[in-house]
Amino acid sequence: MGFADQFWQLTVDGLMVGSLYAVIALGYTLVYGVLQLINFAHSEVFMLGAFGGLFAARGLLPGGATPSGLTSVGLVAAGLAVGAACGAAAAFTLERVAYRPLRRRSAPRLAYLISAIGASLFAVNLAGKEFGRQNVPVPDLFANGTLFHFFGAQVSTQTVVVFGAAVVMLVLLDRLVARTRLGQGIRAVAQDADTAVLMGVNVERVIILTFVIGGLLAGAGGFLYAMTFNASYNMGFVPGVKAFTAAVLGGIGNVRGAMLGGILLGLVESYGGYVFQASYKDVIAFLVLVGILMVRPSGLLGVRLGRAA
Amino acid sequence: MARRKLLGAVALAGVVALTAAACGSDDGSSSDGKKTITIGFQGVLSGDNQQLGINALYGVETAVAEANADANLPFKLKLVQSDDAGSPDQGPTAAQKLIDNSDVLAVVGPMFSGATKASEPLYSQAGLLSVSPSATNPALTTLGFRTFYRVIAPDTVQGTADADYIATVLKAKKVFSLDDKSDYGTGLSAALEKELKAKGVTVVHDGINPTKNYTSEATKIISEKPDVLFYSGYYAELALLSKALHDKGFRGITVSGDGSLDAKYVEQAGAAAAEGTYLTCPCSDANSDPNAAAFVESYKKINGGARPGTYSGEAYDATNALIEVFKNLGDNLSRESVAEAFGKVDYQGVTKLVKFQPNGEVEGANDFIYRVKNGQIVVLGNTVDLIKS
Repeated sequence: MGFADQFWQLTVDGLMVGSLYAVIALGYTLVYGVLQLINFAHSEVFMLGAFGGLFAARGLLPGGATPSGLTSVGLVAAGLAVGAACGAAAAFTLERVAYRPLRRRSAPRLAYLISAIGASLFAVNLAGKEFGRQNVPVPDLFANGTLFHFFGAQVSTQTVVVFGAAVVMLVLLDRLVARTRLGQGIRAVAQDADTAVLMGVNVERVIILTFVIGGLLAGAGGFLYAMTFNASYNMGFVPGVKAFTAAVLGGIGNVRGAMLGGILLGLVESYGGYVFQASYKDVIAFLVLVGILMVRPSGLLGVRLGRAA
Repeated sequence: MARRKLLGAVALAGVVALTAAACGSDDGSSSDGKKTITIGFQGVLSGDNQQLGINALYGVETAVAEANADANLPFKLKLVQSDDAGSPDQGPTAAQKLIDNSDVLAVVGPMFSGATKASEPLYSQAGLLSVSPSATNPALTTLGFRTFYRVIAPDTVQGTADADYIATVLKAKKVFSLDDKSDYGTGLSAALEKELKAKGVTVVHDGINPTKNYTSEATKIISEKPDVLFYSGYYAELALLSKALHDKGFRGITVSGDGSLDAKYVEQAGAAAAEGTYLTCPCSDANSDPNAAAFVESYKKINGGARPGTYSGEAYDATNALIEVFKNLGDNLSRESVAEAFGKVDYQGVTKLVKFQPNGEVEGANDFIYRVKNGQIVVLGNTVDLIKS
């Protein structure tokens, strides 16, 4: 019954949740990289993406028994795509409504923070009004059950789907930042926005696209999260705080740091929740954060986006 | 100029609000010459577990609508709602709102045990009667609340009956008892564990505050290999826990109490994860009780086709018992007279005979077992009968 017996099971659980934290954390880190600004409304982008994916899956779901085979794959893919699209649309709107007007007026940093909190409250309550204030489940898109055993740990189909999709997104994002022209642009703006302008980088466009990329990831991540933990109007808050923590843990503004931070946080939570009482899970996660920041104030991989990749 | 316009608007809004307030407090008599009696409802009308509050509110509204349609009644009823979100933090504020409304003569609610414990000192101080349809923590009637009554049996009844059922019918040797650390959850798990231990069943206890992520808790439960998992808490959390357990292939039986008895549990957990779960309640199922057929019919008509849920019948009975008291008191209506007369009420409701012991507990106490079968919650029967057979 001890910790050692359950080690692999807890690792599998931790990796699944951690990969979701990583996906959300990227949104914080990317925006911080280009704007040196914490986008506190990012958790609502995540929530809106979850609902988008959920409604798409529900709408496309054929009646009758739980789908299987290609239908299941198609439904999950559709949920992810619509979730990502809704997340991107929400992030784009957020940038337009809550941030751009402030940037045009060169507002002080604090104004952005207030604006983000306002946008977040608005989105949460609008969602509560439109979607109800109860938990809303994603319908069963495939027959969930134990798929295989891994050192005695049960790995369910759902875990594989969530973890697999999250890892694919993380890899794609990493390639995008490292290899593409857009990625170059993002890194250039992160290093020095003024110089980037002189070099012919369209900063406005880079900022918008950074928000959209963060939104795509958060929206798809929201759908994956809702498959496991149900969606609700206030679902964004806790994962949002956790993902922000993960971003800080890895070194904010650092893409690979956010990934590492997310996975690490998921694992620590999973182990901690088992060894101590499950209710102390969050306390343990934040103790680790405080501990690491005391030793490495700029996070684990504490370098900025520009130099990271 | 703009500023002056704004000032004008504010002044206008103020006048409108004052007028509205003045009209609102005028309730001497309605158009057909009957006087109006105002009652309050305090319950969980928002938050993750709001369905239980909606069930009760609809029950109250059914009784109110029936009373107002009754030409023989010498009064009309008016209902004022107050939302406490089921939380101990918001309970006192919600109670104060009803206490401050001097028209309110009695309250149906509060609903959750934690919110009730936090609200009742205020009701006692104000001398305002409150009748809970659903707060089942055993200690509530021992804390000296003068004006508190409940039309549902305390969790000592439910916990003990459930433990007997688990030990004799489900033949469990080992039970994992998990509660949500709320006043309701800890009260229920304590009553359950006491009786289980008396029956020689091995008990493992754990508590977890409501959360979304039950994965590590599910791992812990499965590693203990219990025959039965008993969750003392509410349906939104049980749904997530069942999902996590199903995901990991838990083979034991899941049992939970009245806080989880709602169709929303099956919906939120998914039919596959909820299948086979036992749910218990010190409340019978109105939908399958022939004696409650008229109530079910009326409830559906008044609430747009919704079927009565957990606590709907209790809330309906509590309201009708109040109406009975109002009838008997005639013109002698005050918070004091209502609170005093309610202790002596003797009213046959749809769920039980509403008649109280001196401590505010209702006399008749039953416990029923339900089970999720093919995605539907069906009643298996009265626990005592099930154990005998």
